[in-house]
Amino acid sequence: MSAHNHSAHDEQFYYEGDQSKLYSGLMSHHSDINSDESKAQVKKIWRVFWLLLVVTVVEVILGMFFSHSLPKALVVFFFLALTLLKAGYIVSIFMHLGDEFRDFIATVLIPLFLFVWFIIAFLADGSFWLHMNNHTPSRTSVEQRSN
Amino acid sequence: MEQVSVAISKKKLWEGGRSPYNVSYGKMMMWFFLLSDALTFGAFLISYGTTRFFSAVWPDANQVFKSFPFMEGHNLPLLFVSLMTFILIMSSVTMVLAVHAGHYGDKNNVAKWLLWTIIGGIAFLSCQAWEWTHLHSEGAWWGSFTDVTTPVNTFSEFFDLKKESVSALVNVHPLVAMQATHDFFNYFFTITGFHGGHVTSGVIFNILILVNTVNGTYQRRGHYEMVEKIGLYWHFVDLVWVFVFTCFYLL
Repeated sequence: MSAHNHSAHDEQFYYEGDQSKLYSGLMSHHSDINSDESKAQVKKIWRVFWLLLVVTVVEVILGMFFSHSLPKALVVFFFLALTLLKAGYIVSIFMHLGDEFRDFIATVLIPLFLFVWFIIAFLADGSFWLHMNNHTPSRTSVEQRSN
Repeated sequence: MEQVSVAISKKKLWEGGRSPYNVSYGKMMMWFFLLSDALTFGAFLISYGTTRFFSAVWPDANQVFKSFPFMEGHNLPLLFVSLMTFILIMSSVTMVLAVHAGHYGDKNNVAKWLLWTIIGGIAFLSCQAWEWTHLHSEGAWWGSFTDVTTPVNTFSEFFDLKKESVSALVNVHPLVAMQATHDFFNYFFTITGFHGGHVTSGVIFNILILVNTVNGTYQRRGHYEMVEKIGLYWHFVDLVWVFVFTCFYLL
């Protein structure tokens, strides 16, 4: 939590016992939920809520009215970009990952980059299967027989 | 916080007995669990995508999801799932407000916002139950649409027949379309079911920590870190829904 400025001595002292005290127990100095700091945080939460809501409404409108008229690639790009935007806000603000140490953020996020390759490899494999199915005589004849 | 790592030399920081990331064990393990869960959900969604890519035709979300409770017969694409999404985002906000109240040791507000989160979770699950029941009444279930004698009109309604290439394929190769319908619903029920299972366990966890909060367990402990950890889980469930929503209802 970057908002708390504790000294190195405190860190060491409290770490010895209950680790969780590091987090929000003895180490947390704020006590008044009606303080300006608290109110600013709540305001930020609601701002993110409205943002998520607006993005979702935009997605639904795009899905309802434009998904069949606009070029497919453009629609897919918009949907994926908006999805990642929503995911980013949820993880960073709601899950407070944005408040953690940079190295911890990296520890959590780096493994997820495996998905980049998973998605490319599997979707490419899927399209190749479609290609093979459309160009293999035996498969076509099976379909015709069963029809 | 960067000063800390300067004060204690980098080497010493990693020699044990300290928390280099300033994250408690439980919270860090919750993050790693969620990471593994993300890989599971990712595998589900990617295999859905793979199947979709190797299918010559695929059901259209605007045709499959166009009903709303008490408004049967009206064509209302995506409206009901938008409501479900809204409920889940809302319950995420109430959860983060509970976590926020926990930071300030405000027992009453933690209990209040946890209660709202539980209500939101139950509302979402009820919506899902309605949607599953509705799709089931249209013949969709795990393993449905495998009988070759199935009449075309029982599944052709799930396709965007206004599109010429789609209607041509559905009419000429109905079994290809039926296979796609079968695959679509298998994935749909499996993935939304797995997600719904997460929501269910999240609601149960929330009820447990609500009981603990009201009993003053966390107040005596001096912190509400458990609320934060369950909060992480709950937000993750919302996060997964963001991707499920995109993959099944939008793309």
